[in-house]
Amino acid sequence: MKNLFYTIFAISICLLLGKLANALLAALPASLYGMIIYALFLQLNWFSVARVTKTNQWFIKHMGVCLVPAGMGIIDNFQLIQQHGISLVAIIFSSTLLLLTVIGYLSERFLTTSNNNTAKTTTGSS
Amino acid sequence: MLSTFIANSPIWASIVITLVTITTYQLAAACQQKWQSIWLNPMLISICVLVPLLLILELNYQEYSQTTQILNLMLEPAIVALGFPLYQQLKQIRLHWREMTAILVFGIVIVISVSFILAMLLIKAPDIAIALSLKSVTTPIGITLTEQLFGDSSITAFAILIAGLFGALLGPQWLSFIGVNSAKAQGLAIGSASHVIGTAVLVRKSAEHGAYSSVALIFSAVLTALISPWLIPLLQQLFN
Repeated sequence: MKNLFYTIFAISICLLLGKLANALLAALPASLYGMIIYALFLQLNWFSVARVTKTNQWFIKHMGVCLVPAGMGIIDNFQLIQQHGISLVAIIFSSTLLLLTVIGYLSERFLTTSNNNTAKTTTGSS
Repeated sequence: MLSTFIANSPIWASIVITLVTITTYQLAAACQQKWQSIWLNPMLISICVLVPLLLILELNYQEYSQTTQILNLMLEPAIVALGFPLYQQLKQIRLHWREMTAILVFGIVIVISVSFILAMLLIKAPDIAIALSLKSVTTPIGITLTEQLFGDSSITAFAILIAGLFGALLGPQWLSFIGVNSAKAQGLAIGSASHVIGTAVLVRKSAEHGAYSSVALIFSAVLTALISPWLIPLLQQLFN
């Protein structure tokens, strides 16, 4: 139970700092600043990784339920879907597929290669 | 009748409708765990069950959104919690940040251009074209950028959801089909194309998948916020 409150406290502090960063710098939403700050604080050992692990994993496993209300916004777009439904879906599907393919292919090609090179260099030097 | 209940007892209405939403989601999650099918995605099933339910009960979206505000409020801390898988892979990520930035910039420029041009050719409405161009980032940023560029933000919200579901449901299978199997590549592709929805699904595969997906989610958001204000006006000039 103590770890649950500790994790909630850690996440709340990072979110608050994220809101401050958002107010000062704009550009990104507060939650994304909070996410970066949380990762940074864990890296710096300002929050105990051991104490947040279990609760954090539970949060991530169940976060999808928080997205349901946003998804229900579809109700307000019925008229547009009736008018341009096929075109809309075709554009969304094709461009998402293109992005997945481009990023996936380039990452597999260049990141995996650079990873192998790093591994070879490390093995060679040892 | 339900609208009267919401107006008379807003707290009870919030509790009941939020519980119905959570129960539907958890039942769908239990079904997915049992049958292991991508089509039993808890978010998709919840929407498929709750949309007809709201229509039958004659409850509009504003009323539903108002009564489930607690779930909207929980979204921000849930996104912050994604900093944990990000932390777990920081060492790996530091090795590749230059390549990742270059790949994501290339992908973002292509997807904004293709979406905008296709929308202008098929729908011929600049506000919808802007909205569809900004669908590959997380909802709060997509909506803010769309409004900043005078697009229709309600379309952005809808498109972001569809892109998210598409990537979450079919993305990993499609990437495996084209020979993209590493956790890094799958994470970056899904995170940049399907943002939080894709990340929420992909994080179940492994911590590395979740970390790279989270990184792509952040990088894509930052890079799209930097690229779109000059790229979209350029694309608009093509159709003037």
